Amino acid sequence: MLRARRKTGLIFFPAYDWEISPTHPERQERLLYTQDQVLEEGVLDIEGIREFKAGLATDKDICRAHFCVPDVDSCITPSHNVSAGGCIEAARLVLDGTVEKAFALVRPPGHHAMRVVQGARGFCNINIEAVMIEWVRRHYPRIRKIAVVDTDCHHGDGTQDVYLNDPNVLYISLHQDGRTLYPGSGFPEEFGGPNAYGMTLNVPLPPRTSDAGMLHVMEHFVLPVIEDFEPDLIVNSAGQDNHYSDPITNMSFTAAGYARLNELLSPHICVLEGGYSIEAALPYVNTGIILALAGVDYSYIREPDLDPGRIREDPRVIEYIERLCEKLLEMWKTRGRAERPSSGLQQRHRNIFYDTDGITESQDEVVRLCTRCPGSFRIDSRATTGYRILGIHIPWGACPQCREQGLAWFEKEEGDRYFAVYLQDMDNDEYCVKVS
Amino acid sequence: MRLGIDVGGTHTDAVCIEEGTVRATAKTLTVSDLVHSIREVILALGVDCTRVERTILSTTLSTNAIIEKTFAPAGMIISAGPGIDPRNYFLTDDFHLVSGAMDHRGREYIPIDPREISSVAEKLKERNVAGVGVVSKFSAKNPAHEQAISSLIKPGFEHVSMGHTLSGNLNFPRRIHTTYFNTAVMPVQNRFLLAVKKAFAGLGIHSRLHILKADGGTCTAASAGEYPVETILSGPAASMMGGLALSTEPDVATLMMDIGGTTTDMGILIGGVPILEPRGVSICGLKTLVRGLKVVSVGAGGDSCVSVVDGKIRVGPHRDGPPACLGGPMPTPMDALAVLGRFPSGNQEKARSAIAPVAAVLGRELEGVAREIVSLMVGNIRANALEFVEEVNRHPVYTIYEMLHPELVEPRQLLVIGGPAAQLKPFLEEAFGMKCTVPDHAMVANALGAALARTTVQITLVADTQLGRMVCPEMGIDEQAPPSLTMRELKKRGVDLLRAHLASQGLEEGLEIRVVEEQSFNIVRGFSTAGRNYRLKLQTDPGILPEWRLPC
Repeated sequence: MLRARRKTGLIFFPAYDWEISPTHPERQERLLYTQDQVLEEGVLDIEGIREFKAGLATDKDICRAHFCVPDVDSCITPSHNVSAGGCIEAARLVLDGTVEKAFALVRPPGHHAMRVVQGARGFCNINIEAVMIEWVRRHYPRIRKIAVVDTDCHHGDGTQDVYLNDPNVLYISLHQDGRTLYPGSGFPEEFGGPNAYGMTLNVPLPPRTSDAGMLHVMEHFVLPVIEDFEPDLIVNSAGQDNHYSDPITNMSFTAAGYARLNELLSPHICVLEGGYSIEAALPYVNTGIILALAGVDYSYIREPDLDPGRIREDPRVIEYIERLCEKLLEMWKTRGRAERPSSGLQQRHRNIFYDTDGITESQDEVVRLCTRCPGSFRIDSRATTGYRILGIHIPWGACPQCREQGLAWFEKEEGDRYFAVYLQDMDNDEYCVKVS
Repeated sequence: MRLGIDVGGTHTDAVCIEEGTVRATAKTLTVSDLVHSIREVILALGVDCTRVERTILSTTLSTNAIIEKTFAPAGMIISAGPGIDPRNYFLTDDFHLVSGAMDHRGREYIPIDPREISSVAEKLKERNVAGVGVVSKFSAKNPAHEQAISSLIKPGFEHVSMGHTLSGNLNFPRRIHTTYFNTAVMPVQNRFLLAVKKAFAGLGIHSRLHILKADGGTCTAASAGEYPVETILSGPAASMMGGLALSTEPDVATLMMDIGGTTTDMGILIGGVPILEPRGVSICGLKTLVRGLKVVSVGAGGDSCVSVVDGKIRVGPHRDGPPACLGGPMPTPMDALAVLGRFPSGNQEKARSAIAPVAAVLGRELEGVAREIVSLMVGNIRANALEFVEEVNRHPVYTIYEMLHPELVEPRQLLVIGGPAAQLKPFLEEAFGMKCTVPDHAMVANALGAALARTTVQITLVADTQLGRMVCPEMGIDEQAPPSLTMRELKKRGVDLLRAHLASQGLEEGLEIRVVEEQSFNIVRGFSTAGRNYRLKLQTDPGILPEWRLPC
């Protein structure tokens, strides 16, 4: 009989009645063949692996992570409540000790959704990992430091944005180089906001990187950094579009490679992100990930059409990745040495494109620099939808000055310039909106 | 006139039904020769055997053959391809792995090797196995490998079972175990059926013989001979169906209990239909694809041992013979009931002297201890019942609609059968806060359940219009599907197949066919639709014969 070495919970929510459009990559049958494969392999009968029902994330759960414009209901469909709720259930199972590992095999995905939500980007409306992480911090204060390792082929610019100023959430993304793929970001220079310098780490990989390259990054960069950071919780944003058969990317990863990656990283929670090779990759990658999490032999999991010779990367790709890892590790180790301003306000301006909905947003962000807490910040956001809003964030563990600054920002704005002014007060778990 | 017979571990019960009501009942002790037990109980009924039109039998034969491993050696030929190592599921040295692989859509990507199969067949012949089971991965999507292997080896063996004929559900390890058990118990089942028919002839019964299955439905003897594994665990199915027959309000969600000497079996009836185990029942710790009722067994019965552990009373989970008040060695809940004056057939003196040492150890008075024993037992049953209902409601759902509109199971009444049912009724009512019914004829409820159970069949249809294939594994059908196939046409094909199957067995007309699963998906290539993928499950629900009238 097969037994799992680690108790593992599976939250499977394929949302068979949700799609962006019938032929869109994010369509109803995306997880159908995965379900067939997992069922046929008898994965759910392995002792120690159990399937659990997803839950529903509430509006409040979503407001902890987002400023939804104009409101939560306008930004999401019920499917998002379930996919974020599935992640929350996964976290609950792990943190209550019901299981050691959990995998939220849910859709729709979330890692391109930023803190301000003016529409859908990269098939994402809300950031399901961020909703989960904020729920965890609210309900399990013992969880202070969280690492998110994003192995989706696309840079997780949404998760990076939500945690840019948060020194307690380490975000590491491995992805196909942004010069060759949506969303066009995720370079080593994106290294975290002023109060969380070095807590955003980006590893852009050359197209056609295969298992060897990806696993090199895991062993020689990700694992040493995680060891330094000592997180209380590790989350893998387990996108599966690095697979050699994925129709919208150019990488050469295999199911066995994904399984090995998860064996090395051993995250507490995996969350499905992208991955659109619904017949040739997802059934095998997901089976591999579940087995690796549970500590069951996955060495016989293999795609029917796998030809290792055909997808092996050029030796120059490996050399490039080796150098990249050395450089990144050096950046990580010396992150505290740079001379940086430690007080005052820091501003940035940027434009964000919502490709799924065809919306453009213009943002002005102001962060209060602070050495005692993650720092309050405000985001002035104007979108082509016509909505202009102001979002104010008072972080977990805010110092009195940052709290005062956040409240002052909120009170000062009467809302005449804005459609609405939003406040996230994390420590008090209060999310207020002033509508003009 | 129809006869229902339930051959249980201790007793064999029989009931004769005519014009929708009970004509006669009988109960005898089960002896090791099951056919003899059946003969005896029919004779005890004292009815005119020549007028019997149908006999339905529920026996522990196939279950016991598996549990006691008294079956013939069977061989297994398994093709898997990549995936979890199938050798994890091998039970004996006669399991053989051969090449060949199908993917999740039923496309072959590694062919089978006829020479390899012949050489495996030779090895199995040398081992003198009578039957061989053949299983390939994803055979429910494409049975071609199982069919090819089967026809290659068939001439050399008495019988060959193919996995896809036993269930259309996906689960390779369960398919392996189901097919193995089917192959292994086939000879013992067929010998038994032959002996029963001979005995019936001797009694002047020339009616059709039907066998009760794990799902609470019946099948013909011919079908039970070909698919014996479906008749395992028919005991709990018989008692659930008996309870359903005796329910005065079958449409109310009911928690059904069969309280025995050692254990209490529980199941749930919703709208007159028992809840089924979604993936299949387990036997001997092995999971199968056999469709069966969802039942849970709790180690609490009328004869459960009462002991004192760390200053606290403990009831069960073991049994050590009958209650003290009936001459047994240990104090039991039945003795507690006797002390409380609720079990008149028990010896009051013996009951008191069995409970007395328990009360003495605790330094408490006898009646209070007796009450606590009963309430502990009932409390244990209740805790397990609540957990059982919760587990049913925790069942994952895969669509937003089901997520937002959950259909929760909430039992509103108790229906209790079994030896101590009548004595425990007031205690159960108090603990559950629900109406509790202990029906008449409860002593032969299992036989009644067998007698009144309807025929059940389930079929799966999978169509893939891009590959141009339609498969109905249970019926062994693998045919072309036109690109224009619609779900409506597929449903009609399914209903026709099911009706033809029932008719070929001479079974009841007018059985209601219900769609239990219906899914339809696009198959997309590039950015356009290249076909449709349809999944359909049709069945006749388990239930009670419509002409049955409850005795007033």
